[in-house]
Amino acid sequence: MKLLKKIAFITLIASLLLAGCSSSKDKSNKHNERNKDELVLAFDSEPETGFDPTTGWGRYGSPLFQSTLLKRDDKLNIVNDLATSYEVSEDGKVWTVKLREDVKFSDGEPLTASDVVFTFETATNNGSVVDLNGMEKVEAVDNYTVKFTLKKAQSTFVNSLAATGIVPKHAYGADYAEKPIGSGPFELVQWDKGQQLIVKANPEYYDKQPNFKKITLLFLNEDAAFAAAQAGTVDLAYIPAAFSNQKIPGMKLESVQTVDNRGIVFPFVKSGGATADGLPIGNDVTADPAIRHAINIGVDRQALVDGVLEGHGTPAYTSVDGLPWWNPDTIIKDADLEGAKTLLKEAGWKDTDGDGILNKGSLKAEFTLYYLANDAIRQSLAISVVDMMKPLGINIKLEGGSWDMIAKKMYSNPVLMGWGSHDPHEMYNIYSGESAGIGYYNTGFYENKTVDDYFAKALSATSEQDAIEFWKKAQWDGTTGLSAKGDAPWAWLVNIDHLYLVKDELDIGDQRIHVHGHGWPATDNIVEWKWAN
Amino acid sequence: MIKKFPLNRKQRTLVKIIISIIFLVTVILGGVLLDEDKIVTNLSERNSAPSLEHLFGTDWLGRDMFTRTVMGLSLSIGVGLIGAIGSASIALLLGMAAATMGKMADRIISWVIDLFLSVPHLVTLILIAFTLGGGFKGIVIGLTLTHWPSLARVIRAEVMQIRSAEFVQVSQKMGKSRWWIAVHHILPHIVPQLLIGFMLLFPHVILHEAAVTFLGLGLSPHEPAIGIILSESMKYLSSGMWWLAFFPGLCLLIVVRTFDQIGENLRVLMDPTRNHD
Repeated sequence: MKLLKKIAFITLIASLLLAGCSSSKDKSNKHNERNKDELVLAFDSEPETGFDPTTGWGRYGSPLFQSTLLKRDDKLNIVNDLATSYEVSEDGKVWTVKLREDVKFSDGEPLTASDVVFTFETATNNGSVVDLNGMEKVEAVDNYTVKFTLKKAQSTFVNSLAATGIVPKHAYGADYAEKPIGSGPFELVQWDKGQQLIVKANPEYYDKQPNFKKITLLFLNEDAAFAAAQAGTVDLAYIPAAFSNQKIPGMKLESVQTVDNRGIVFPFVKSGGATADGLPIGNDVTADPAIRHAINIGVDRQALVDGVLEGHGTPAYTSVDGLPWWNPDTIIKDADLEGAKTLLKEAGWKDTDGDGILNKGSLKAEFTLYYLANDAIRQSLAISVVDMMKPLGINIKLEGGSWDMIAKKMYSNPVLMGWGSHDPHEMYNIYSGESAGIGYYNTGFYENKTVDDYFAKALSATSEQDAIEFWKKAQWDGTTGLSAKGDAPWAWLVNIDHLYLVKDELDIGDQRIHVHGHGWPATDNIVEWKWAN
Repeated sequence: MIKKFPLNRKQRTLVKIIISIIFLVTVILGGVLLDEDKIVTNLSERNSAPSLEHLFGTDWLGRDMFTRTVMGLSLSIGVGLIGAIGSASIALLLGMAAATMGKMADRIISWVIDLFLSVPHLVTLILIAFTLGGGFKGIVIGLTLTHWPSLARVIRAEVMQIRSAEFVQVSQKMGKSRWWIAVHHILPHIVPQLLIGFMLLFPHVILHEAAVTFLGLGLSPHEPAIGIILSESMKYLSSGMWWLAFFPGLCLLIVVRTFDQIGENLRVLMDPTRNHD
C-alpha cells in the first residue's frame, strides 16, 4: 500500500517536471519560429468603419496605410511629411503647401496635388467626424502645390493637415475603407473583421522603411489580450490597470503618459432653457460656482490615481495636461476638504435641516452624475467621487447609461466624460461659447467672453507658436480662465496612463503623450519600433 | 463511524425551511439596517482578502463585500417576491378563466400560454425590460409578465379536473353561478398547487433577475444587484480575487437551491399521489 502510494507520488512529480520542461521548450521554439521581422500586437479596439481617412481613420495613432501632409514628431512639434514646406498668408486665411515630388502610392502611381484636393473635398462632403468646417475651398496650384482657403483664420488648421491621410483619386471607391491604398509605411494584406488585421511594409514608401516587414494586429478584449500575453503569443498587448500588478516572464510593462483624461463636466448655467430638440439645459446647483470649485478642491485626485488606476495615471487639471499649450499655473491644491467646506459656507451653503446635505434657500446640494455604464474605470471614478463629496455635504446620485441615454440628459446634468487630443482645437470645442450644445462639445453651455477672446486670438494667429500663448491664457490669465482656478466648468480628475505589456527585447521607442483611445496611439511611431539587440 | 441520523422528507424540509428563514431574516434585516454608507469606498483598503473585519473581503474600491452581498440579495429577494407574486396571480387568473369561461376563452388563453412557452423566458424578459426602459420597474414587470405560463397551464388542468367532479356538477345543477362555484369549490382546491407553484417560481425569478443584471440590462452598474456584482467580479478573477465572485455566487446558490427544494418537497408532501412524476 505504502509502496504503491510512493510510486504514484513519484510518477506525479516526474510527470509534472516533464510537463514543465516540455512547456518551456515550446515557448522558446515558438519564439524562434516567428521571423524576426514580424510582430503581433493585441489591441482591444478595432476601427470598425475601416481605414478611410476621409471618414476619420488615423485620428488616433498612425494611419499606417496613408501618409499625411504634416505630422508631429516625438516632441509634438509639427514637421513635414508629404509636404516640403507650407506657408500661411498674413491674414491667416490662405495656406499654401508644397509637396514632395517623389511620392508614390503603393500601387505605383505618383501622389500629386489633385489627390490632396480630392482627399480634402471628399472629407468635407462626407460630413463625418473629420471637422473641416473652417475650410472654404482647396485647389491645386500646380502638380505639387496645394492652396487651402479658410473661411477665417484658424491656426489649428495645421492639425487637419497632420491628421488627414491622403487617399488616391484614381483608386478611391465605395470599398476603399476595406481595401485602402495609400502612400504610408504599410500596405493592407488582410482584414478579418472582429479578429485581426495583417499589414506588410510598403516597398514604395518614400521615407525610412519600418523595421518590421509584417505586423499582425489582433483585436482581443482585455482578458483575451492578457491571456495571449501570458501564453507568449503576442509581442505587445494593451491591458487595463487591473492586470498591471501581475508579472509575465519575458515581458515588461510600459506605462505611457497620456491626455486620455476623465473629468466631470458641469452644467454652467441655471436651469430653464432648452435646446432646439427640446432637451433641458442647465442645473441650478452646479450653476453655483461654489459647488463647482468645492468639488474641484475637495476631490483627491492622487487617491483616484492610486485607487482606481492602480497608480498608472496622473492627476488632471485641464484637458491638455503636459501638452505644449498647457498652462502649468492651472494646477490647484486638492484633497482639501476644509478649504472646500469654508468655500461652501462663505457662499451661503448650510445644512439647515440636519440631513447631512447642504441647503441654500430652496436649493439642495444634490445632483445626478451620469456615466457610461459599460466603462469600468468611469464607473469606479464616479463611485469614488460620490463618496469623496459626501463629507462636504454634497449628495451626488449616480446613473449609468449608454451614450444615447446620456445625450438626452447631458445638458442639464453633470456627466463623467473624457477627451484628449494633440489638437488644441479640442480645447476650443469643449470650452468656447460658440460650440455650446453642439453634440458632446461644451455640454455645460460654458461661456466666458474673455476666454472666447483668447480663443479668437489663438485661432487667428498665423503659427502654432504664436497661438500657444493665447491657449495658455484662455486656461488662466491671472484673473479668469476656463481652468479650476477660473470658472471651473469642469472638474478634471485623472489622465489614464496607457499600459502595454511589451516583449523585453522589443523597443517601442519614445512614446509621445498619448491621446484618447485604446491601443492605436502607440502606433504613432511604429516605424521606429525595433528589437533591442 | 459517525452515527447517521436519517431524516425523513418532512424533517429535511423543515431543516431547509429553517435555513431559508435564517437567510431571509438576515437579508431583509440587512437590507433595512445597512444603509448605503456601509458600502462607501475606502481606497486604502482595496482588494483585501476575507478577514474578520471584512467577512467576504473587499472589492477594488475598498467596499465591503459582505454588505454588498447582503444588499444585493435583499434586492434580489425583493424582486423575486414581487415577481413571483405577480406571476402567480396572472397564472391563477388566466388558468381559472381558461377553464371556466368557455371554449373560446380556453382556446385563446391556451394559445397565449403556448406562445410564451415557445420562446425562452430570458429572451422575452430582456425584450420587455428593454422596452420599458430598464431600471428596477422594467425588470420587475418583465419578470412578472414572463414567468406565469407553466403555472397557468397546471392550474388550468387542475381546474378542468375539479370542474368535472361530481360535487361541482351538483352545484351547477342546483343553479349556482359560475362565480360562486369558482370561489367556493374550485379555488380552495387549487390553493396548494398555487402555493407550490409560487414557491417554485420564486427561485426561478431570482435566478433570472441575476441573469438579466449580469448581462448588464436594467439596473445601473453601481447598484448592488447580485448579477451585477458577479459580472463585475469576472475580470478580477484572473488576478486572483476569488472572493469577489465566490461568496455572492454561493449565497445566490444557497438561496435558490433551498427555496427550490422547499417547493419541490412541499409538492411531494402535499400531493403524495403525484409522488412518482
